Amino acid sequence: MLALTYSPPTRLHALSAPIKLVGLCAITTALFIFPTGWASTILGGAALGLYAAMGIAFLRAGLRTLYGLWPFVVVLGLWHAWQDDWDNGILIIVRLITAVAFANLVTMTTPLQDMIACLVRLLHPFRRLGLNPNAVSLAIAMMIRFIPVFLARADQLKLAYRARSHRSGRWTILFPLALGMLDDADTVAEALRARGGITPKD
Amino acid sequence: MEKATVHIALFAALIAALGLIPKLMLTSGVPITAQSMGIMMAGTILGAKRGAAAVALFIALTLAGLPLLSGGRGGLGVLAGPSVGFVVGFPIAAWATGWIMERLHALPISIAAGIAATVGGIIILYIPGVAGMALMLDKSISQAALLITPFLPGDVIKAVITALLTQAIFAARPASVFSRSGSSL
Amino acid sequence: MKNPHISINQVSLSVGGRSILCDIDAQLSDRRIGIVGRNGSGKSTLARCLCGLIKPTSGKVILDGIDIYADRKQAIRKIGILFQNPDHQIIYPTVGEEIDFGLRQIGHTAAQARDATRQILTRFDTLNWLDRQTASLSQGQKQLLCLMSILAMEPDVIVLDEPFSGLDIPTRRILGDVFQSLPQTVIHITHDPEAIETYDQVLWLGAGRIQQIGSPSQVLPKFMDAMMIASGLT
Repeated sequence: MLALTYSPPTRLHALSAPIKLVGLCAITTALFIFPTGWASTILGGAALGLYAAMGIAFLRAGLRTLYGLWPFVVVLGLWHAWQDDWDNGILIIVRLITAVAFANLVTMTTPLQDMIACLVRLLHPFRRLGLNPNAVSLAIAMMIRFIPVFLARADQLKLAYRARSHRSGRWTILFPLALGMLDDADTVAEALRARGGITPKD
Repeated sequence: MEKATVHIALFAALIAALGLIPKLMLTSGVPITAQSMGIMMAGTILGAKRGAAAVALFIALTLAGLPLLSGGRGGLGVLAGPSVGFVVGFPIAAWATGWIMERLHALPISIAAGIAATVGGIIILYIPGVAGMALMLDKSISQAALLITPFLPGDVIKAVITALLTQAIFAARPASVFSRSGSSL
Repeated sequence: MKNPHISINQVSLSVGGRSILCDIDAQLSDRRIGIVGRNGSGKSTLARCLCGLIKPTSGKVILDGIDIYADRKQAIRKIGILFQNPDHQIIYPTVGEEIDFGLRQIGHTAAQARDATRQILTRFDTLNWLDRQTASLSQGQKQLLCLMSILAMEPDVIVLDEPFSGLDIPTRRILGDVFQSLPQTVIHITHDPEAIETYDQVLWLGAGRIQQIGSPSQVLPKFMDAMMIASGLT
């Protein structure tokens, strides 16, 4: 299960994550505060330009990430055609695609570790409310560690189901999957305590 | 504290793994996913606070760039798209589901979980969900609501399955259903 | 009655470019068949192919004329598999439901399934397990439950994929006796030659290929030699 970061790295990868995130917030805010055709088109063009500046392969990968929006584009297109409100329709579609494109640009050019570091930093104010950053880091690591474990177990259970049935069984296996997760949680918590537990936050 | 952290982390991992179980197509042509049941179950099993934390952790790592949402979606793009309300609403729905589950401790488990999953996982979830869609698609609330009505029958089925699953899990591991057991995490 | 005949026809399987099984070709019609190999030799993958759970990249497995992967409805009546870890196999919360499941899948009505479930539980003297939580059983008991769930479906062939893993000595002996007494064809996957010394035919799998097929007295000594060499003990 690989992260969505694009490889090989582009020039944008070198830009620091907080800068990119602040930039993203600014652009998305601008998109919604200035709901005119001009703003959307200019920003949309800027998005396209940025993607293209990173290379054709990058641009193609970027376009692929926008594919999931097609049902909404179709619905919007049909709706606004029916309402004879093309101008607004195009504006909304362009704005939607532009916002997603800029957001995906940040995701594609920022390594997972950097994003997680930003996340942990954003949680700083919550220390006073009792949140332990060591617990957060540990939780993130454990979650990433166990996703493939549960995926493998789900596959194994699907095979076990298939061994006795010609159906798919994708819902029936939820019970043993959930139970296995709860049992694993008990075991891992014990193992963690045996190794000294989570470091207190101060 | 170790127990709480581990349960939150592992439940988040389970929700992620559920995203890779293929969607089931209802006869109406609308897909239902196992992942949304994982969100409801976080509430019915872990309770309000821990359930919400598990879902929030899952969403946080999805936004950080892991393709964990059903269909292999992820990254910041999901916040910029029409389903942003649902993404933001998931932890809230888990919290509401857990809160209701904890309040209904006098009812049989399956009934309590069913009510919690329906109110928390459907009604409460659709408030930010529909609002977000209305905002992104520049439509009125009622128009956006129209868009999501085909998904409601599937959601009811999911709430029922969540209720039955919660009951089966409680029968097998009563101490692990923290919304009920009262044992401290 | 003739033994069931399994025809493994030029089966190869690769995953993501990596070859796991290569040109496996064999005709199996004995009653007790062993498959030995080291960890990583592809034994478990071959077991899953034999039961039609995964699709070979090329080639087919045919059991008494049935394409085991393609025709699942027929396949589940003819061949069953006991996995290594019962926790990865048990799907339902109670013993009764777990055994019922397979029976309903092969077409029994609810009443017929109930009867057959009671019958198999009685045969193993565990009728009082009927309403027990599967989660409350010990490892050995779970493995027995998995075996009963398959036997209830009365297949012609049973595949045992390293069934003794994690079980204590008394449990191994009890289960071993049960396996020996089964009327159906047994295909036993193992890395321990002792378990299959008395079998009719042994297939030695190494690095995804058949190293040798023959009687235990032909194959096992060569297998043991290879294991000694591999562990640097010659």
